[in-house]
Amino acid sequence: MAKTILVVDDSASLRQVVSIALKGAGYDVIEACDGKDALSKLNGAKIHLIISDVNMPNMDGITFVKEAKKLPNYKFTPIIMLTTESQEGKKAEGQAAGAKAWVVKPFQPAQMLAAVSKLIMP
Amino acid sequence: MSINIDQALQTFIAEARELLEDMENSLLQLESTPEDAEIIGAIFRAAHTIKGSAGLFGLDQVVGFTHIVENVLDRVRDASIRIEGDLVALLLECRDHMTELVNVIAEQGEQLDEAALGREQFLRKRLQAYQGVQAGHAAVVVEPEIESSGASMEGPDNWHLSLRFDREILKNGMDPISFFRYLGTLGEIISIVTLPDALPPVDEMDAELCYLGFEVNFKSDADKNTIASVFDFVRENSSIRILPPHSKVAEFIDLIRTLPEDEKRLGDILVSIGALTRQELDEGLAAQKNPKADGSTAPLGEILVGQRSVEQEVVQAALEKQSQARESKNKENRYVRVQADKLDELINLVGELVIAGAGANLLAQRSNDSSLQEATSTMSRLVEEIRDGALKLRMVPIGDTFSRFQRVVRDVSKELGKDIDLVISGAETELDKTVVEKIGDPLMHLVRNAMDHGIESAEKRLAAGKPAKGTLKLNAYHDSGSIAIEISDDGGGLNRDRILQKGLERGLVQPNQTLTDQEIYNLIFEAGFSTAEAVTNLSGRGVGMDVVKRNIVALRGTVDLESTAGLGTTIRIRLPLTLAIIDGFLVGVEKSSYVVPLDMVLECVELTESERQGMKERSYLNLRGEVLPLVPLRTHFEIEGSHAKRENVVVVQYAGQKAGLVVDELLGEFQTVIKPLGKLFSNLRGISGSTILGTGEVALILDVPSLVQQAEHAEQS
Amino acid sequence: MPIRAETRNGVCHLAIEGEMTIYAAAELKSELVPHLAEPRIEIDLSGVSEMDSSGLQLLILAKREALQHGRILNLTGHSKAVLDVLDICNMAAYFGDPLIISSHA
Repeated sequence: MAKTILVVDDSASLRQVVSIALKGAGYDVIEACDGKDALSKLNGAKIHLIISDVNMPNMDGITFVKEAKKLPNYKFTPIIMLTTESQEGKKAEGQAAGAKAWVVKPFQPAQMLAAVSKLIMP
Repeated sequence: MSINIDQALQTFIAEARELLEDMENSLLQLESTPEDAEIIGAIFRAAHTIKGSAGLFGLDQVVGFTHIVENVLDRVRDASIRIEGDLVALLLECRDHMTELVNVIAEQGEQLDEAALGREQFLRKRLQAYQGVQAGHAAVVVEPEIESSGASMEGPDNWHLSLRFDREILKNGMDPISFFRYLGTLGEIISIVTLPDALPPVDEMDAELCYLGFEVNFKSDADKNTIASVFDFVRENSSIRILPPHSKVAEFIDLIRTLPEDEKRLGDILVSIGALTRQELDEGLAAQKNPKADGSTAPLGEILVGQRSVEQEVVQAALEKQSQARESKNKENRYVRVQADKLDELINLVGELVIAGAGANLLAQRSNDSSLQEATSTMSRLVEEIRDGALKLRMVPIGDTFSRFQRVVRDVSKELGKDIDLVISGAETELDKTVVEKIGDPLMHLVRNAMDHGIESAEKRLAAGKPAKGTLKLNAYHDSGSIAIEISDDGGGLNRDRILQKGLERGLVQPNQTLTDQEIYNLIFEAGFSTAEAVTNLSGRGVGMDVVKRNIVALRGTVDLESTAGLGTTIRIRLPLTLAIIDGFLVGVEKSSYVVPLDMVLECVELTESERQGMKERSYLNLRGEVLPLVPLRTHFEIEGSHAKRENVVVVQYAGQKAGLVVDELLGEFQTVIKPLGKLFSNLRGISGSTILGTGEVALILDVPSLVQQAEHAEQS
Repeated sequence: MPIRAETRNGVCHLAIEGEMTIYAAAELKSELVPHLAEPRIEIDLSGVSEMDSSGLQLLILAKREALQHGRILNLTGHSKAVLDVLDICNMAAYFGDPLIISSHA
């Protein structure tokens, strides 16, 4: 059974490309456009890994990660944070909240794939 | 796959354009409220998102430039630099350049032209002033070449990985086994030894912590950074030691000494997995007598030591503060993107449905089946609602168009050296998207014109006792089935005499002609008319007021102008809402049917016999003491046949003018779909479209504005 | 209850069902530990659907306990998920149980 990944970003085009890359590698992908949307999608499908942006409307990535980590079914789920090099502080915040993995924006699909496959194989 | 990517790219372009528009609006708001953290955050996020997405598509030019902008915005956000006018202006220019970059992508294959490249260079230079110390582009540390060691001490051909993970990693969703699986994609794992030595007694063991250590013999052509990067996410609090192939035996000995497990046991493990031979191990251990307790053991070839985590409390506080700021911004609308032509198609279909419904209604009324009549009337009501709903889908508030002018006014007033405020009202007034798209250019010209020629320089204004700051107003409202858009300035007003003189010079006015002020002002809309004293940068754009008028007329709209010397000028554009469907009032002349847009109908009166007689001499009617010019449709459309026994007058109003349409029969209200007339009929005056009646007959839709105008002219002459 | 236990002919048979991952680790441990004092233990792993380091670690813990106290602990019916982990971590020899190598390796 393919592993399922939740991709959270307010940019539809980013989600599209990331999910094309992940699906191509054999993962299942669920998309969410902000933290709130993402939280609502955690119930239902079993999600093995979460990729989340930091800066998003409605609910930012850090808050989302904190909320997700409170859920019994997701307290140990790996989370990849999308940061930028100008956001070293955000990376630390994300890590404190429980997102221990990160990918620096801008990134190539291959970089995302590498980060994901370090954590879970499809 | 490539089709998918292409679709994603289209999404990116649309998204980027939207973000850039938001960014512009936010920057403009920032001018008045420079401290607003929310707005600054929104601007930052726009740049951030564009950069992030552009990177995915490998759009390096966008990434490169946006990166710098984002950098500066980040410094604004953390209050390292203050927002002031110059910076906003610079950021606006940067936004424009980003728009250009996105446009280049949209026009596939096009390159940024020389001028744009030059602009970018200049922008980059100016941004530098705000960038401060370059955020350290973490220089790739080039590992020193491994010294060639003595032949006898030459190490193995493979990498050696010695891994003792942070106890917490499993809780973070990181599993050593996953890393090994990934490592397997970079090369071949020759051998792994799992060390359970650190596993505590049963009672003390916490099943959620990771106690296992691993020694890995790994064969790979990958470079050091690639292999080290496998463990990037667990570096913190873990001890990850990586020895490249051919490391010196001494380095292994050091490794053994720094690891927590027993020396001899580790040595045996290294031998067993092929990292060292027994002889090398023994010799090496003998050669280095340093006791293990010696903390000075130098880190070897490749040691990645994690940093301590950031103070929890500080992070917590920062986090909470941030989430508070965010919470208040949670009112983002959600939209579904729909292709405009799909919408048009839907509206067309609804149009057909309305016609079909009307037909069914007609048949039902003719029958005496009351339940059928009830059913069709319910259906009619629903169809009506669907019609309204479908049309609303295509209605957009004019506000978006108006707010574009904030920027224009700001830029142009700077260019002109005038201080001008833009006041927008009626932004929520809705009109059809198709009209909105076409009204932008004429509006732009009128706004520029008002700023250039309408509003005086500050000195002149002060001399005239007016505030130095000029005001330009954009207003919109609905008025009898059309939308009115007003552009008014509080400038000097039009110079009536000079316009008249110009008009005479250009032969637009005959010397003996007497014109009202209104007519004189409207001369400026005639072809080739210009009163500008000096050709400025703005009026040099080659669009005259006549073009503006032509564009508006093409939209079935009208434009007129009011001006008061010394107080300002108001230009009023009236446009139909271009509803594809209108409520009409059906009238009949002889055998033909005509539709009058219902919202222009004021009342209907029946003509008395004496009035009918009087009509033969004059074409107006005394309507309760008011002079009402008449348009007999029978004569207007040259309909043959004997006069009907009775005639009625439909009183219509447009733009404050009234007229009476003389018809035979009043057939009542009727919902109808406008079918545009073919090219053949484009010169037909008084008809704006056609429609098909429920009976299948064709009815012409009357162009009331032109009929009213005509009546007025006839009356005057 | 991820662990089913029954004693037959003096052998404590334990069967682990479902995930042996971090999500189940704490519960598994608390269920497993009471049985570790049994002189002969056989753990059936055929129902293990997923396994990570935490699961491996628990098995190691159980085996070490048995070895230290001279008891016997055998693993049987290794599912594919278990075999995969034992293979990666090179731990099959540690447990010393016969493994059935699946043909579609």
